[in-house]
Amino acid sequence: MPDPPKKIESLVASLEELRLHVGRKDLSIGDRSVNAQLFFSLANACLRNHAVLLYGGMGANKTTLINLLGSSFLGLGLGEVENLMVTGHPEQTEEKMVGFLDPRQWTRPGAGASEVLWTPWARSRWKLINEINRFPSGKQNLFLEILQKRKISYAGQVLEPGDTCYFATMNPEFSATYPLDEALLDRISACVPAVQPDFLAGLTLSEREREVRELAGELPRFTPEEFEALPTSVPKVELTSQVELAILSLLRDFTLCERAPGYDKTQLSGSKPSKGLCPGCHYFNNPEILCWQVDEGLSDRVRQDLRDFTRSMAFLLHSDGDLKVLKAVAPYVIWHRVTPIRSALESPPYYGARKLALISGLVEKSINRTLNERAEMNLVFSRAVDGEMAMEEALRELSAYDDPIARLDFIPSLEQMHCR
Amino acid sequence: MSLKSFMEDAYRGKTRAKRLDTHRGDMIFGLEDLADRVGTKPDRADVEALVPADENLLFQLMTAKPGKKYRMLWGHLSSFAAERSTAPLRLPAEDFAGLEMGCGSIILEEAADHVGERMSGGRILVRGAAGDYLGQEMSGGGIIAGGCKDYAFRNMRGGFGVVRGSSGNYTGVGNSGGRIVVLGNCGERAGWLMRGGSMLIAKDAGDYLGLLMSSGRITVKGRAGKRAGWRRKGGSIRAESFGPEAADGVLGLD
Repeated sequence: MPDPPKKIESLVASLEELRLHVGRKDLSIGDRSVNAQLFFSLANACLRNHAVLLYGGMGANKTTLINLLGSSFLGLGLGEVENLMVTGHPEQTEEKMVGFLDPRQWTRPGAGASEVLWTPWARSRWKLINEINRFPSGKQNLFLEILQKRKISYAGQVLEPGDTCYFATMNPEFSATYPLDEALLDRISACVPAVQPDFLAGLTLSEREREVRELAGELPRFTPEEFEALPTSVPKVELTSQVELAILSLLRDFTLCERAPGYDKTQLSGSKPSKGLCPGCHYFNNPEILCWQVDEGLSDRVRQDLRDFTRSMAFLLHSDGDLKVLKAVAPYVIWHRVTPIRSALESPPYYGARKLALISGLVEKSINRTLNERAEMNLVFSRAVDGEMAMEEALRELSAYDDPIARLDFIPSLEQMHCR
Repeated sequence: MSLKSFMEDAYRGKTRAKRLDTHRGDMIFGLEDLADRVGTKPDRADVEALVPADENLLFQLMTAKPGKKYRMLWGHLSSFAAERSTAPLRLPAEDFAGLEMGCGSIILEEAADHVGERMSGGRILVRGAAGDYLGQEMSGGGIIAGGCKDYAFRNMRGGFGVVRGSSGNYTGVGNSGGRIVVLGNCGERAGWLMRGGSMLIAKDAGDYLGLLMSSGRITVKGRAGKRAGWRRKGGSIRAESFGPEAADGVLGLD
């Protein structure tokens, strides 16, 4: 009887035993601690059509880990999986990555419509884009299109590889790297720092005497049925109402802005909190409010990513889809999509370098506030929407709350309903 | 499921509601704003009454360059930040870092003047050299610095100070307590008017060591300059050797 969760456990244990991945347990979920780099990659392997970006310096086991996981999940040799990835450099072309037209077909007798010879990467359902920030900006757009449409088009032909697991790796900014486009970053579901092995991990790795390629053959292999069963198992994990509510409020906390058109920070272009939008605003400098502390709002994709990765992580840990999982997962889903204001990021204890920690603090603040302080106003709003409370009374009560969600979201919504 | 049922399920009967406190106290927008309220040479208590409770806001206030005008305000803020921080706080080299600090730790790569002034507890580590008035009027805690300029540990009443390199002139002037250790050389008039405490200089000391001192102990492992212990009223001075005109009762190291 196939049991994918058990096989994943066995894969995690094998990676450690064979000294193939011994990263620090830097992701705490309730009373469990796991390695974020490994578990986000596994969570992505249990989903489809999401992208996880591993971010870190050279030799942090980013590419090898994804290839090892690919080898296990696809049941292929490590060498075969390595042939499936594309690596970024300025001379990389669409023809090399996606496919090309073989000119010999036009000289064959009775040649019909031209056919594209798709590359193994294009056909694969496990796509690794290695060193994505070494692709110049124009070439990064290719991935934007693939992640958006889940189709690959070339020379008028379209390839639909089916539901795919997308992974990408990138180094910090070097002389040969290019900045990642914000739209592409928004299509990356989670970004995970890949750190160098610590002292003990280094000691453990030094005990590895055989080649990675050789050891990779000893990892558990998934059958195609087991691999296909994973994305159908994850949705069975139910998210609690608290999680759903916390996700909705989190998005609004980041996105609402009193001074933006439609109170929507994603509408801003030139003017931003970091460029002097906020001084004089009622909420400016209030540490309980998130809006003035980050430049960007969050798109609706973030909502779906938060839900999917909370489910997938809960599935991996055999836990409920509850708040402790959301609190652990959410910073990794959000931090690469937003830019905190400089004064907050450059202050101790962040020193301009610990953006993930800063975003974790903001996420925690929003979730705690929703659960501990917003109950009354949320209930007033919900009773008004359900028609159990007079609109005028609800508007009067909500106007007493100084919360951005009450003022900029609930009240305008009720006023619209009232006008109808 | 109706929206109300969804909310009730999420809150499970808990309807605790703390309203957003947007008007709590007076928001301080910067050092200039703080100076408008308490002046540029305020008491610690006056600043403490207005300092933001939120760590992020406090650090934001401290990111502004204080210049000469707001340096005491910045110094007080640096102490509050260090006292609240569970980990050692790394700060830029500004005057008055750790002013009247009561606990916590500060790490400075280089230091300006008046570092650790009037501190009563905690630790300050200066990896490089400090400026003038290091640890002036300190009554507790400890400072370790790579070196320092003049007037270090002046009027010190307690705590300890370690200078890993050399110190300038007038080290430990008017001390009534505390311990000072200088691992390098020490400039002129160290321990002038000293009334208590101890001072150990691992290498040479300048002229007029222990001038007019009335109590306390000074030990020099190297050579003391001329007129060591001149007009001394009490206390002890010991040194490996002395320059000319050393006072009577100044002892050699045995």
